[in-house]
Amino acid sequence: MNPSSIEFLVQEAFTGIRRNGLMAFASISTIALSLGVLGAFVLVALGANHFTASQIGKFEVAVYMSNEAGQAQTQALADQIGKMQDVASVKVLSKEEEWARFKRSNPNIESAGLQNNPLPFSIDIKVSDASRTTYIANKVRAMKGVRAVRDGREELGRVMALARVVRGVSIAGVIILLLTAVFIISNAIKLTLYARRREIRIMKLVGATNWFVRVPLIIEGVVFGAVGAFAAWLLLRLGGSYVSQSVAKMPFMAQFSSDIQPSTLAFALIALGVAIGAAGSFVSIRRFLRD
Amino acid sequence: MISLDGVSVEYENGVRALNDVSLSVAKGEFAFIVGPTGSGKSTLLRLLYREMLPSKGTVKVDGEDVTGLKPSEVPYLRRKLGIVFQDFKLLPQKNLWENLAFALRVIGAQPREIRRRIGDALAMVGLTHRCDSFPHQMSGGEQQRAAIARALVNHPTVLIADEPTGNLDPDTSWEIVQLLEQINVRGATVLVATHDNQIVDRMKKRVIRLDAGFLTGDQHKGTYQQNES
Repeated sequence: MNPSSIEFLVQEAFTGIRRNGLMAFASISTIALSLGVLGAFVLVALGANHFTASQIGKFEVAVYMSNEAGQAQTQALADQIGKMQDVASVKVLSKEEEWARFKRSNPNIESAGLQNNPLPFSIDIKVSDASRTTYIANKVRAMKGVRAVRDGREELGRVMALARVVRGVSIAGVIILLLTAVFIISNAIKLTLYARRREIRIMKLVGATNWFVRVPLIIEGVVFGAVGAFAAWLLLRLGGSYVSQSVAKMPFMAQFSSDIQPSTLAFALIALGVAIGAAGSFVSIRRFLRD
Repeated sequence: MISLDGVSVEYENGVRALNDVSLSVAKGEFAFIVGPTGSGKSTLLRLLYREMLPSKGTVKVDGEDVTGLKPSEVPYLRRKLGIVFQDFKLLPQKNLWENLAFALRVIGAQPREIRRRIGDALAMVGLTHRCDSFPHQMSGGEQQRAAIARALVNHPTVLIADEPTGNLDPDTSWEIVQLLEQINVRGATVLVATHDNQIVDRMKKRVIRLDAGFLTGDQHKGTYQQNES
C-alpha cells in the first residue's frame, strides 16, 4: 500500500463523515449517550464502593487494660501493637482524661455513687486491612495486662457484607451496561454502513480488496467512538459538578465521592469509545463484504 | 477468454437458474446473451465476476478457473473485468470525475496515472465536458456512458454488461451499444445480457440464448428470435 493510498483512505473516511452528516450525528450521539450512561454508573459505583470502604476503615479495635496497668505499661503495649502487621495506628487513652470526658457528658455520675474513676487505660487500634481485624484482636487479647478487647466483629461483618453486595452489583451493572453499549453502538454503525452499502458494493465490483473497503470505515468508527466518548465525558463532567455541588451540602454524602481523576475518566471513556467504534465497524462490515 | 463447462446453478430455495450450460467466448469476441426475464442471463454474468459460485461445473475467465479463487483473490479477477449495470451504479454524492477516480483509487492507482486514464476513458465515451456533473444532473444515456467509462478505466480485458439499455430509450440504447462495439473493436471481449430485440437484430453479432436456465441457441450473426436454419 503506497502513501497516496493511505492518504486517500483517510480522506475517504472524513469525506464519508462529512457527506453522511446526519448518520454521523446519529451515531455520535448514540455513542455519547450510551457511554454517558455507562460512565455515570461507573462513577456512582465507584462512589458507593469508596463509601463502604471508608466505613470499614473507620472500625477500630478497642483494648481495655486491666485495672492495675499504668501509663507506662499501657504505652509499652501500644508500641508493641503498633509494630504488628496491618496495624495502621494506635492511640493510648489515659484513664484520667477518659474519666474527665465521661463526667462531662454525664454530669450526675458522681452523685449516682461513682466517686472513684472506674475506667482502665485503653488503646484504640486502627487496622489498615479490615479483614485482619479479628486476627489482630485475638492476638492482642492474649497479651499481658489486657482485660478485654472489643473488635465490633458483628457490625464490621454487616458493613463488609454490604460492601460485597455493592461491589457485586457494581460489577454486574458495569458488565450489563457495557454489553448494552457495545450492542447499541454496533447497531448504530451498522446503520451508517447500511446507508453506504451502494458505495461498498461498487468498491467491491471495481476490484477493491476487502481491506481497502474496511480501512476508511474503521477510521470512521474510531472517529465516531472518540468524538462520542468525548461528548459523554463532557456530559459527565458538567452533570457531575452540578450533582456534587448540591450533594456537598449533605454531610453524609461527603464520603460518597470517588477519587477518580477527570483525566483518567476521559482517557478511559475515549479508549473505550475508540475500541468499540473500531470493533463495531470491523464486525459490522463483514456482513457487507460477503456477497 | 471465457468458458463455462457443465455449469448448473441451484438456489437454496431449489430454483435452478442454470442447467448444465457449456459455452465459450473467444478473446475479442462480441456476444449477446438473450432470453426473457428469469432465464438465467444475470446469473451467468454473476458467475463470471464471482459474485456467485456454480453448484456444478467450472467457469474460466482469461484461462483461470474462477470457481477455485480464494475470497482474497476475487478483487484481482474483477480488476481484469469491466462491469456495467442497468441501473448504472454511480455514486450519487460524487461527480463524474470523482466516480471514475474512486474506481482507480480503490485499486491503488497513482494520481498521475488516474488523471491520464480518466482523460482517456471520458474521451472514449464522449463525456469530457461533463466531468464536473453529478449523476443526477446527467441524462440516463449520459449516466450509462459514465458507467461504461468507469468500467474502462481499468483497461479491462472483458467488458460485462447486464441489461445496459434496460432503462434507456431506443435511440440512446443504440448509442450505448455502438459504444460497446467500439470498445470491442479496441480489443476487449464484450458480453452483453439483454432482452432488447431491436439492438440485437441490428448488431448482427453472436447471440447466445437462454430459456429457463437452459442453453437453447448459439448463433453467429444471429438475431433475437433465432430461426434454426
